[in-house]
Amino acid sequence: MPRYLIWMPLTREIVGSVNTTFETYHNFIPDFSLFQESLTKPFPVHLRINSLLAHPSKVVSALRKKGLLMTRVCREYDTLYIAEDLPYPGNLLEYFLGHIHPQAMTSALAALALRPRKDALVLDMCAAPGGKSAHLADLMGNTGFMVCNDLYTNRHVSLGHTLSRLGVQNSVVTGYQAQEFPLRQPFDYILADVPCSCEGRFRKTPKDTQYRENKKKALLPDIQKKILLRGFDLLKDNGEMLYATCTYNPAENESVVNFLLKERDADLLPIHLGIAFEPGLSEWDNEIYDKRLTKTARLYPHHVDSVGFFMARIGRR
Amino acid sequence: MSIRWASSWPELADDDSRQAVSTYLLERFGIPLEILDKYYLFERKKGWFILGKSEQVKNGAHLKVSKVGLRAFRKVGHFIKPTTRFIQAFGHFASKSVFQMDRPQFETLVLTGEIPVDLTLEKGYVILTMEDDVVLGLGFYIHGTIRSQLPRSEIRETMLE
Repeated sequence: MPRYLIWMPLTREIVGSVNTTFETYHNFIPDFSLFQESLTKPFPVHLRINSLLAHPSKVVSALRKKGLLMTRVCREYDTLYIAEDLPYPGNLLEYFLGHIHPQAMTSALAALALRPRKDALVLDMCAAPGGKSAHLADLMGNTGFMVCNDLYTNRHVSLGHTLSRLGVQNSVVTGYQAQEFPLRQPFDYILADVPCSCEGRFRKTPKDTQYRENKKKALLPDIQKKILLRGFDLLKDNGEMLYATCTYNPAENESVVNFLLKERDADLLPIHLGIAFEPGLSEWDNEIYDKRLTKTARLYPHHVDSVGFFMARIGRR
Repeated sequence: MSIRWASSWPELADDDSRQAVSTYLLERFGIPLEILDKYYLFERKKGWFILGKSEQVKNGAHLKVSKVGLRAFRKVGHFIKPTTRFIQAFGHFASKSVFQMDRPQFETLVLTGEIPVDLTLEKGYVILTMEDDVVLGLGFYIHGTIRSQLPRSEIRETMLE
């Protein structure tokens, strides 16, 4: 696979207005009209409190003193908040201090679903811009060792900046092609937040009223499968891996994981998020998936008011 | 057993270099010597980087790396200059050369880049803090003034709101 395949400038084509966008997913996205309605609303700002550098309650208190309305996303996590009426979190002092990180709530849930133990050996295969890597380091309490990999060296700048600002001290940055990451050393935990069509990030705005489909979308599953296989091959016997995308497209989600289940002695592990999610699909487009795919998680914007997301927690049989 | 680092890794700081940094932290800021014991200290060109010590690190030493750990110090002339990010993470261990700003002083620092103060302190770096145990970063004290050493591109007037 040529290295320029995913990030080369891509021609995009308009596939429909928001009223008809993702119509092909009508059969499996529940409450489809509510889903489409949710695409017309702007994304809320979610903040993750970085407990490596600050105590969550102190940060929340400081932000509330500034007049921000901070609402906890769910009872389970004291580090995830929705901040209403906050257009530019990067302008806050707390951002400079590394006390907060603006991050879609569903993105933050990825690290929480993997939840690496302290002192573990961790690999983030597609790490830039680093929000999830920093979250993993936070959950590990800066212990163990984490390899933050991203092929594109120009993305190492933002990755390095995020890790530094958030006080990460247990990591290195590498620049391997994810699907060719060296096999020499197996890992305890692996995050494969792979390049995807990013459908889950689409919202209708005055500037962007129609979803424009990436013409190269059809090529993505191939590279996603290669990355997932390599990730699995890098896993210790008792290791755990999280495959994640921000797309609704089953061809990039269940179909890719189904491929892994056929090719390797892999199993799907239950996902605990603390918020409700939809199970993965059992079939799509005349393809019947392994029954275990229902253990994967689909998160929709009209349910969680965040980026649409998919995740599969994977272990060895 | 010593670790065999791939050639892309920075050099591990030798004992003299490590002692110079530790001694500086102790003498200038009162940061205990043992703080750095928990870290590998790497040196490249005019900077030092820290990486948390762990049994796991050896398992990644063969990798070709582009960045290691957290950039912690720079050599600036005869001075060892801690980075903002190092100070934000470790400043709470300091027992001297710490200046707690009140709100008007913070505003002055952000708007003008310096604050007039009268400290019984030799010229050199000071750790800037604020109420509620907030460690902001570093300033440089000279001639009755603390000059901001905070990264200009990251300091905004909106932080005063």
